Amino acid sequence: MTNDLSIAATLSMFALLLIPIGVFVWLKLGVAKETILSAIRMAVQLVLVGLYLKYIFQLNHPLVNVLWVAVMMVAANFSVLGKSGLKRKVFFWRSLTGIAVSTGIVSGWFILVAIRPDPFYDARYLIPITGMILGNCQRSNVLSLERFYSGIRNNEAEFTTYLMLGATLGEAVRPYLRAALKACVNPSIATMATMGLVSLPGMMTGQILGGAMPLEAIKYQIGIMICIFTAMVIASLLNILLSLRVAFDDHQRLRPDVFQ
Amino acid sequence: MISFNDITLQASQQTLLENANLRVEPGDKVVIRGASGCGKSSLLKAVVGAFPIAAGTVAVDDLELSAANVGAIRARLAFIGQEPTLGADSVREALLLPFQFKAHKNNPPSEDRISATLERLKLPRNILTQPAKRISGGEKQRVALARALLLDKTIFLADEVTSALDPESRDAVMDELFAEEITLLSVSHDAAWVGRCDRTIEILDRNLTEESR
Repeated sequence: MTNDLSIAATLSMFALLLIPIGVFVWLKLGVAKETILSAIRMAVQLVLVGLYLKYIFQLNHPLVNVLWVAVMMVAANFSVLGKSGLKRKVFFWRSLTGIAVSTGIVSGWFILVAIRPDPFYDARYLIPITGMILGNCQRSNVLSLERFYSGIRNNEAEFTTYLMLGATLGEAVRPYLRAALKACVNPSIATMATMGLVSLPGMMTGQILGGAMPLEAIKYQIGIMICIFTAMVIASLLNILLSLRVAFDDHQRLRPDVFQ
Repeated sequence: MISFNDITLQASQQTLLENANLRVEPGDKVVIRGASGCGKSSLLKAVVGAFPIAAGTVAVDDLELSAANVGAIRARLAFIGQEPTLGADSVREALLLPFQFKAHKNNPPSEDRISATLERLKLPRNILTQPAKRISGGEKQRVALARALLLDKTIFLADEVTSALDPESRDAVMDELFAEEITLLSVSHDAAWVGRCDRTIEILDRNLTEESR
């Protein structure tokens, strides 16, 4: 097992922050206050999550576990829509569907087919795994939606030309869909290729610190990397495809009123 | 045939056209004139669903513009703007672009036909390999027109398509678009173009008025 960090020891970690804050003050970056606030927020949020999770793990009730996953999905969805510049009201359910389907498929595969915990809804697996997948989907969805719609808005003449040349909406959006998906998967392809060489990934590090044997930990790491990658592609694609119907009018013109 | 029936067009609170009517018969060569900003380009765009119609209807042949028909209408006629976008990396790709779409997939043009079309529009054959971004405005206009001709369109919406052309290329373009079988609805300030049209429609007081000749 890990050496338990005492509360005092955990607090001592904050001392390290004096270095970046010192740099920010010296260079007048104007982010010192923001850094302190963010660090405090992080600590408070994690304490709360630690407490929640403690009870959720003890309870380990299927309904509570699923509900917790649902709450994480809704939170991820809010964040995606907020950051991608799309109107929450218009896209909420479509975007949530994309996130839920992609996370559901891959975490279902990882947990039910590969790990097979007993009970299958075991919070110790369900919550961290769906959480990691969701966190990554969230980032890729923001990027792909933003790229897709800004691609069309910045190249409106080109997009209209495709339509005028007889393209269907699906054919006309294809180049922007391609660019958006590429933007979201390229960094992950690079990360996979250097994994283990440049950095020891988070999940594996966590497991090793938790007492797992490295060879055990890498199996989970391989599993989670493939899950994250697959979920990102499904989520980005689904989110874009599901958004098409409401983002364009019936003459395939991009509706200006669907953006924030 | 293109018909505008009691059409109203609005641009940001300003009414461009109100209950206007126009019928362009097959083979007609029509030019729209009027002060700048009066709605000439918008009228052309409205036919292909690229400009919203506030009231009234537009029809092309037997197809009334609607969500269900807009694709078929776009596939049936050619729209060429003043500064056409080629939408591809090289000129060859730009010419072949529409043949990637389902609507035109079955009849890609032969090399001979591409060469002949370029020649008629006074475009050098080596333009095919050039990057679409590098060619001049006048060449772009002619490449866009060549693309429409390769699609065998017979109804053309042309918005100032000769604005960047020298007289020789302009005449070549006009020879193509003023062919007997072509129905042409255009916007132009070019006297030679206007002279070859057989109908002139003026946008005046938010209405379409036919000028007598």
